[in-house]
Amino acid sequence: MSCKVCNRAVIEEGFCEWHLLAYRNLTDRFPVWQKAMEITWKDYLSQIAENSSAGNWVKEVAKYLIEKGENTNVGKS
Amino acid sequence: MQRLEKYTLIITEKPDAASRIAEALGNNGEARKFTENGVPYYEAHRDKKLIVVPALGHLYTVAAKKKKPLENPILDYAWVPRYEAERNPSRIKTWLQVIAKLGEEADSFIDACDYDIEGSIIGYCILKYTCGNRENEAKRMKYSTLTKEELEKSYDELMPQLDFNLINAGLARHEVDWLYGINLSRALTAAAKKAGNQYITLSTGRVQGPTLKFLALRERNIASFVPNPYWTLKAKIDFGDNVLEANHERIFEVEAEAKATATHCKSRNGKITRIEKRQFRQNPPFPFDLSSLQVEAYRLFKIAPKQTSSAAQKLYLDALISYPRTSSQKLPAQIGYQKILKNLAKIREYTLLAGELLAKDHLKPNEGKKTDSAHPAIYPTGKKPAKPLVGAEKSIYDLVVRRFLSTFGDSALRQTSKVILEIGGQNFTLSGMQTLKQGWLQFYGSLGILRENPLPSMNEGDEVSVKKIRPEGEFTEPPPRYNPSSLLRKMDQENVGTKATRAGILQTLYERKYIHGERITVTELGFEVTDVLRKYCPSIASVEFTRRLEEKMSEIQQGKENKSGVIAEAVEILKPVIASLKENEKPIGEKLFRAGRQATLEERIIGECPTCHSGKLIITHSKRTGKRFVGCSNYFKGTCKTAFPLPQRGFVKPTNKSCKECGWMTVLVWPKGKRPWNLCLNPQCSQKRRSIKK
Repeated sequence: MSCKVCNRAVIEEGFCEWHLLAYRNLTDRFPVWQKAMEITWKDYLSQIAENSSAGNWVKEVAKYLIEKGENTNVGKS
Repeated sequence: MQRLEKYTLIITEKPDAASRIAEALGNNGEARKFTENGVPYYEAHRDKKLIVVPALGHLYTVAAKKKKPLENPILDYAWVPRYEAERNPSRIKTWLQVIAKLGEEADSFIDACDYDIEGSIIGYCILKYTCGNRENEAKRMKYSTLTKEELEKSYDELMPQLDFNLINAGLARHEVDWLYGINLSRALTAAAKKAGNQYITLSTGRVQGPTLKFLALRERNIASFVPNPYWTLKAKIDFGDNVLEANHERIFEVEAEAKATATHCKSRNGKITRIEKRQFRQNPPFPFDLSSLQVEAYRLFKIAPKQTSSAAQKLYLDALISYPRTSSQKLPAQIGYQKILKNLAKIREYTLLAGELLAKDHLKPNEGKKTDSAHPAIYPTGKKPAKPLVGAEKSIYDLVVRRFLSTFGDSALRQTSKVILEIGGQNFTLSGMQTLKQGWLQFYGSLGILRENPLPSMNEGDEVSVKKIRPEGEFTEPPPRYNPSSLLRKMDQENVGTKATRAGILQTLYERKYIHGERITVTELGFEVTDVLRKYCPSIASVEFTRRLEEKMSEIQQGKENKSGVIAEAVEILKPVIASLKENEKPIGEKLFRAGRQATLEERIIGECPTCHSGKLIITHSKRTGKRFVGCSNYFKGTCKTAFPLPQRGFVKPTNKSCKECGWMTVLVWPKGKRPWNLCLNPQCSQKRRSIKK
């Protein structure tokens, strides 16, 4: 099975090794952003997708989640 | 070639060195040049007749003994002339024939190749294989500069025999690297070929693997980086005629808190509560070894490490600087500081600086810890360049001279200032930095300019008026990308590769499409190769493994280890690795083939399609006519017909730069034998219209 973002092999949660790492970092960091800016998960993803310091794999995951409207286990505010 | 008189045959590494050595040793500086089948050699007379013949760098290499079919892994190898092992041997066969002929008439032999591992192997192979096992009777010249004085001294004080420990260490390094390189690269290439039925050049090796691993690890951290937001508070303050910017002492992790603090401090005046000044001495830099020269040349001039190495080698062959492939940071007194400075003082650019040092009572360089048993640190010989230097050679020469002068300078005296201001009960700081005494910095000239940010004279209790306070939102940054300079430093720190091979390894990583860009980015192919090594042969990509082998080779050099034992151990490690790669050939091949194809495709991608915005503009060929053009990747899907014509001749590649005139994407066109030029894809671009009118 292919990764939701690229065509590499899936490791877990529908992501390949690279995008899984990015996805986990993305979800781990959300509470920090939430506390800092009182931001929703959706806005968080939009900001990350445009942020010049964010990594490419992270941006790809963020864009995928925005496109698919996937609400993950975090920050359903 | 009719020579009845017996002579000493002196073998040098390169033609330039042969001419210089012959002239230095010849009576009255005289040497006659001969050319046989395009191979130059020199005749000079000193205590006896001397024939000086150059090599062309390595004339021999390691190659598989059996031709075909090759066993797997290939463990049977021999040292053979390069023309037997390589596709494009150029003049090597003739060269070896001429040396062999000259060797027949010689009654004694001197190896005068550069005194390091590579030079020692070059001389050894010629003496052993070309001259008929003369390696045990040959003597050795050891020198660090190609100046007449040092060459004469080196000839008068010949080493009684070759340095066999150094040679064995070199042979072991070449043989182990060949065994690993050929077997691993072959396994990867064969796997990719089986998977895709198409040839892709893949390689890895004992040093390449760990180096790529550093880069891939950094890339992974960058690509998966999620920044944290934070806020700083900046206060613009008036002090006398100066407008200064003070920073709140804290970093705010919550935006609301930063805003509330800014509101609280607004419209209040500030007062200086404390001034802290600290003076410190900044010692002169150490003299250059090759790695630090490459790092500094990249930092100052953006000269790539390999180019620095070549420029330094050229300067050495012109006797302008000492031997550059050194790891020493020591300048022994025997090199003659005074004499070099006096000679440098004759060169206009350095007259004043050298004069200043010559006026000192005592000359003592600031040396680093690193040593090299064969050569001192890099230093200028003091010889004036015969013709004006240009390009990289000019920059490198100036850098070496200034660095040499700087090491004898006094410490610079610098001062940091920290001024604490209180605004509305909150502490803000102003920071300053200035040089109080130039010391060695004056010798480094414009190369040594440091950040200067002096603060105006201030006193505790002074009032300042606050013009503006604002919170500024920022984000944490990912770790920086390696550039050629920082990667070389990392390889040096981790003891991966040698001073002579590191720049070449980096070049190979670029050529294999594992990395690209000056701020190095790892490609998908680079990631996949690292991944394969990590999964199926972790020992190969481990820094620990390559470092241990480096240590073993140093021990051979010191006579503490035996060459065959080290090679046998390396082979035992290699065998199961190759077996594992073979066993997993299918998944490995699929991964590598896909990534290899992607890498080739990425090289042709110009950027986003300006029409459909979902496809990518790619340099491609028409299936019908075979003509080259730029088309949208959705062209063949039939959803976007955007296409631009391209010149049909010459090499074309994306520039990754926008047109200065219209901002559209450009490609580089390089017609054979002509200058490359940038082509803007926009048919309406005014720049294009102008060039057409011309």
